Amino acid sequence: MTAGGPAAPGEKYDGEWLRVHPASPFVRGWVALAAIGYFFGRDTFERMLQGQPLMDGQIAGRTPFLLAGGAVVLALAVLGFILSWYFTRYQVAEGYVRVNTGFLFKQQRQARLDRVQAIDIVQPLLARIFGLAELKFEVADAGESAVRLAYLRMEDARQLRATILARASGVELDPGRPEAAAPEAPEQQVLQVPPSRLIGSLLLSEQSVFVLLGAVASVVLSAVTENKGFFLYLIPAALGLIAAYWSSFHKGYNFTVAISPDGIRLRYGLLDTQAQTLPPGRIQALRVVQPPLWRIFGWYRMQVNVAGYGAAGNNGEGGSRTTLLPVGHLGDVLNMLALVLPDPGTADPQRVFQCGLDGLDSDGGFVTTPRRARLLAPLGWRRNGFAATDTALLMRSGRWWRQLVVVPHQRTQSMALHQGPLARRFRLADLVLHTTAGPVTPRVIQADAGTALALFDAQAARARAARKRQTSEHWLAQVSPPVEPAPPVSPVEPVETGEPGPQLEHQSSTPTQQEGPQRG
Amino acid sequence: MHTAAIDPPGITWLRVSPKYVTVRLVEWALGNLIAIALLSLPLLFVLFGWWTWPPRWLAVAVPAFMLVLALWRLVLIPRQVRAIGYAERDDDLLIRGGIFFQRVMVVPYGRMQYVDISVGPVERRLGLCTLKLHTASASTNAFIPGLPAEEGARLREQLSARGEARLAGL
Repeated sequence: MTAGGPAAPGEKYDGEWLRVHPASPFVRGWVALAAIGYFFGRDTFERMLQGQPLMDGQIAGRTPFLLAGGAVVLALAVLGFILSWYFTRYQVAEGYVRVNTGFLFKQQRQARLDRVQAIDIVQPLLARIFGLAELKFEVADAGESAVRLAYLRMEDARQLRATILARASGVELDPGRPEAAAPEAPEQQVLQVPPSRLIGSLLLSEQSVFVLLGAVASVVLSAVTENKGFFLYLIPAALGLIAAYWSSFHKGYNFTVAISPDGIRLRYGLLDTQAQTLPPGRIQALRVVQPPLWRIFGWYRMQVNVAGYGAAGNNGEGGSRTTLLPVGHLGDVLNMLALVLPDPGTADPQRVFQCGLDGLDSDGGFVTTPRRARLLAPLGWRRNGFAATDTALLMRSGRWWRQLVVVPHQRTQSMALHQGPLARRFRLADLVLHTTAGPVTPRVIQADAGTALALFDAQAARARAARKRQTSEHWLAQVSPPVEPAPPVSPVEPVETGEPGPQLEHQSSTPTQQEGPQRG
Repeated sequence: MHTAAIDPPGITWLRVSPKYVTVRLVEWALGNLIAIALLSLPLLFVLFGWWTWPPRWLAVAVPAFMLVLALWRLVLIPRQVRAIGYAERDDDLLIRGGIFFQRVMVVPYGRMQYVDISVGPVERRLGLCTLKLHTASASTNAFIPGLPAEEGARLREQLSARGEARLAGL
């Protein structure tokens, strides 16, 4: 695979400065090249189409200048590409990844390997055709990726990812034979979202409610006012909606989840494909939501906060990268929760999570808004609530738009109790957990003030204890490794996802296996 | 107002300097007086007969409303300043604030990424400073205004030392 590569794969990443693939600036800048080509070639092309002679008398005199201009611009662009390629070099050594870029304004970036929050391999369509891929390395900084390498050969990108993850996990490298230390971690596919379900979920999504409302409104308005033109106003909205549907479909297409010792792998994409790796314990907060129409089929969506990904909607990619599961059944959700939270810290996780997803009142150990506050939240007071397990805090809310938020104790950054004048009258308080930027904002809504205060104290103590247990950034070195090297998922064959049977078995078996040594 | 329902029991809050009221007064004056002056311009124009449109009652009512609102805020300032408090516990720092919308925040020392101190022009004249704590979360909006300069420096050193001792990753 690395036939044209500068060195054998083994010694490749050991301190040597390497360049990205020579074709990468062209793959990245093909739009610019195409624009130049279009600008200078348009006239000729149009004439060709119209069957006119390629040169008419008027333009013939200027042709040399046009051609020369085009050639100069093209040459400048290509020279720029080549220079940018030549001066872009990267190195993985001594626990750091370093990237040098720029020939006029030089930039050197370095990121610590054990601070990796997530690592993605992205393949835009054109890169995919050429077998190239971009590697994105995220550290805890809510913004752009810390390190981007575009483009590498797919093989090299995967090899580099394996190397980075192996070093980040704290695997001891054999100094004599570095190539032996970074084999790609074996992975096991856990679930897959079939396209039919994805399409169904889009048709029943929140956007569709607005589509229906808009259609009904336009019909009613045109009937009432005898004006047939109302649908015209809907055209821009419809275009926007189609774009939104398309991007959701495109990002969610062929969504697969796999588990490997170095983290959860998410793969998706129709034209551009993306493979994300979330190392164990890097998920700061998680939520499971169910829009009202999805209740018909029992579908859920899962989103996560990861420190490097930043807020969703910050840029276009944020929304899809923070999606852990675009649409899935209860079994899939429980399965994913088991991957993210291998030790749920409760004896009956399935029941607790299920009550969090669709329960009411105090079933599953949830503490809800007191009855006296039912004036403030006439629908939600039976649903708004929280439950604390040994390892995570669960917050549920929403009667129509059901939501369950899970925050592992050791990921709590800081907390605040809020109480406004109205809440004070009803002796209520809100508890806000602060987490890194992302789609999830954990908040215990309208809890009894005394309960909230007790939770505030207890949660601070739990977070403190959990932090003490977490001793190292190297996840292999942590006291209780979040993911076993040989995950108990192994009996699950590449599964038909609608069938929750085997996953649930795994669900209930995981905690007992993991709690054993801790209790003992 | 000093001990409210959502304060953890058994905490003795350290209060910020009463001189911080002055800082808040200057901020209040800059914000509200300019706004009221601007909103009073139509009244002037109407009185001089240059403008005809806003009826006199409206031209009076708008700035008057703003004035009442501003005075209300002015009355609240001393109490708001007295409501600000902080307490250093063994493993975390507590910060409280607010009268109507109360907030009690806990920031574990091990979660602090860095601490910074800022001093504005009015604060400098009064020998005060504002201490701000940063965690990995952008929503941790933890700051203690109106600290005497030496107390701010002490707190910063204290917090940095404790943070280093208990530093945890994300």
